Amino acid sequence: MQRHHVGRRALLAGAAVTFAVRRLRAQPASKPRVTVISQWSSGSSGAAMMALGKVFEQQGGVWEHNPVPGFTTEMMNKLRAQIIAGDPPAASQLKGPEIAAWSKIAPVVDLDAMVQQAGYETVVPAELAKLSKPHGHWIALPIQAYRINTLFISKKAADQVGVTKLPATWAEFNAIAGKMKAAGITPIANGGIRWDDGMKWEIALCGISLDAYRKMLTELDEKTLKGAEVLAAFRQCRKLADWSDPGIASQDYTTFVPRFMKGEMGMLLMGDWAAGIYKRGGFKVSDYIVGPAPADDGKIAFDLNSDEFMFWQKPQPEFQEGQKLLAKIVMGKEFGPLFCQITGSIPVRTDTDLSAEGFNDQQREASHSMGEAARANRVVLSLAHNMAQTNQITAAMIDVLTEFVHDNRITPEEGQKRLVAAVDNVR
Amino acid sequence: MPHLVIWPPILVSCAYVLLFSAWTIWVSFTRSTLMPDYSWAGWRNYSSMLATRNWHIAYTNLFIYGTCFVVFTMALGLLLAVLIDQRIRAENIYRAIFLYPLAVSFVVTGTVWGWLLNPSIGIQKLMHDIGWTSFRFEWLIDQDMAIYTVVIAGVWQASGFAMALLLAGLRSVDADLLKAAQIDGAGPARTYLRVVFPTIGPIFIAVLVMLLQFAIKTYDLVVALTAGGPGLASTLPTVVVYDFMFQRSELARGSAAAVMLLGSLAFVLVPYGLYRMWQQRKARAHA
Repeated sequence: MQRHHVGRRALLAGAAVTFAVRRLRAQPASKPRVTVISQWSSGSSGAAMMALGKVFEQQGGVWEHNPVPGFTTEMMNKLRAQIIAGDPPAASQLKGPEIAAWSKIAPVVDLDAMVQQAGYETVVPAELAKLSKPHGHWIALPIQAYRINTLFISKKAADQVGVTKLPATWAEFNAIAGKMKAAGITPIANGGIRWDDGMKWEIALCGISLDAYRKMLTELDEKTLKGAEVLAAFRQCRKLADWSDPGIASQDYTTFVPRFMKGEMGMLLMGDWAAGIYKRGGFKVSDYIVGPAPADDGKIAFDLNSDEFMFWQKPQPEFQEGQKLLAKIVMGKEFGPLFCQITGSIPVRTDTDLSAEGFNDQQREASHSMGEAARANRVVLSLAHNMAQTNQITAAMIDVLTEFVHDNRITPEEGQKRLVAAVDNVR
Repeated sequence: MPHLVIWPPILVSCAYVLLFSAWTIWVSFTRSTLMPDYSWAGWRNYSSMLATRNWHIAYTNLFIYGTCFVVFTMALGLLLAVLIDQRIRAENIYRAIFLYPLAVSFVVTGTVWGWLLNPSIGIQKLMHDIGWTSFRFEWLIDQDMAIYTVVIAGVWQASGFAMALLLAGLRSVDADLLKAAQIDGAGPARTYLRVVFPTIGPIFIAVLVMLLQFAIKTYDLVVALTAGGPGLASTLPTVVVYDFMFQRSELARGSAAAVMLLGSLAFVLVPYGLYRMWQQRKARAHA
């Protein structure tokens, strides 16, 4: 009995000492700290995250990045697990309407004061600001942007058919594709997986009528969905599918990069990250012509894809300090050049100076076009890249589009009917 | 003592399986989307899943794939088993070769067959390159035929397994029976059809059930081979479950799909269990 008592007292004392030591240790370690999860594990995105981490550490923080490679949804599964376990990361990658959806399931950090202090809201496109403050308060910060409606033409293929500049309208585009077909070139170099199929249709609609695109995708407006512009997009999309390689089913567009560069394939409609893939493949900017995809009304149009960091509430002061530091860095003017020169994307701050050597002409053109489009209110959000609608609605729409692309027995009229039905089913 | 060793793991694994199945069933009746949300939704998730095109295509495909996969795998497995049963030389080598595909993961099988069957890079290209330019084999990119490419890869993978089991069955047949058949003047074909196959009937059923549940559970093969495409043409119920649960954040609908999939498995396994019970009772009655 006596021994037991001593044992217990010793235990208590031991616990007290451990506690005290912990506290002592914790004091100097209360450097600002963040835990970040994203899908960017390797390649240029991984390198960009590492560069960001280095800057964070230089400014006195502790940086902990836990990438979940694969699709964004895989990263989301990890995020979901962490939230259920009550230990969300200090910041996570998220984008589009998912920011609003996820902000309802766990408390997020209100960044209003910091955003105001940095004067940030006035320098990013309004569409991005809207996504970042779904309930009126800033809870996420955009980090990089991509233009979806970008057209790449293989230089070798262009030379064969005498094309020197990008087509301005879909009619011109179709004429070039016809010429390429006649010359034995496969006109379209896109792949045939889900998001690629959705994207082909999306770029077509965006170039046919930006207003229709906006009305149908952001408001799911029924009249527009059943309208002539959407039907025209289905028609154009059928042409794109017919001009693709017959073996595109379940192929990624990157499979066709060698054939594209050899001039066996003509044109690629793809977000401007394709340039990064070309660069890594050892190809030069002179190997292709690049710029905005056709727009029938001749006006600027910018179909936007963007990544953001979302900040999750953490009780520990070191995390709160870390979040402040990270937000400050991300909103800063130096962040765009730091991150985007590595990834090849566009800085979200429209006042970023892109004359530095680390940027290329394509980034300059796309960035300039984003700024112009933002001023003219001609920025729209990408469907296939989960910017315009939540996963549920996007997936239901892409089901229809991907079937349409791969089955030429579905007429454009039938495709449109199915799209209307699919949206009705999930609305 | 043996009880002490055996029971805890059994209890733990039962609890594991049953608890999670029960939880999934529960979630399938709620309004959960991004996160579990335990407000009651009734049968709505089931009816909306049943109304989706994805589910229709998936179950039609499962029917086609399940039937073809089981029939062709059994047929090929049986053929190989009978051929190897002829006391051939180097039997072990052949057995190893035919069993080898089973050691390869479905993802590898799917990827390799994906390359072989892709008309732009695989067999068709090879035929065109050696001069047979009219050769066409485009199932992989054909809406109506894509599911059969999954059958091809699945049969390639599993027929060795069917062969091994059936061969063991063939070898287990009483030598006296075979001799009696020989004395009666039955040729090899007749011996197999009338004597050997009927005696190993239970093994056929076991193989059939195993292959059927293989078919229902197939996921990685189709993901690696066709990614459910072209479009949705070769999607299977497992793919739909994963898609809804983890890609679309429709936890409740995905769970409803999973419960229906569990139902299909029960559809195969429960009758088999009953059949086994009936057999055992018959055996006991005879003894």
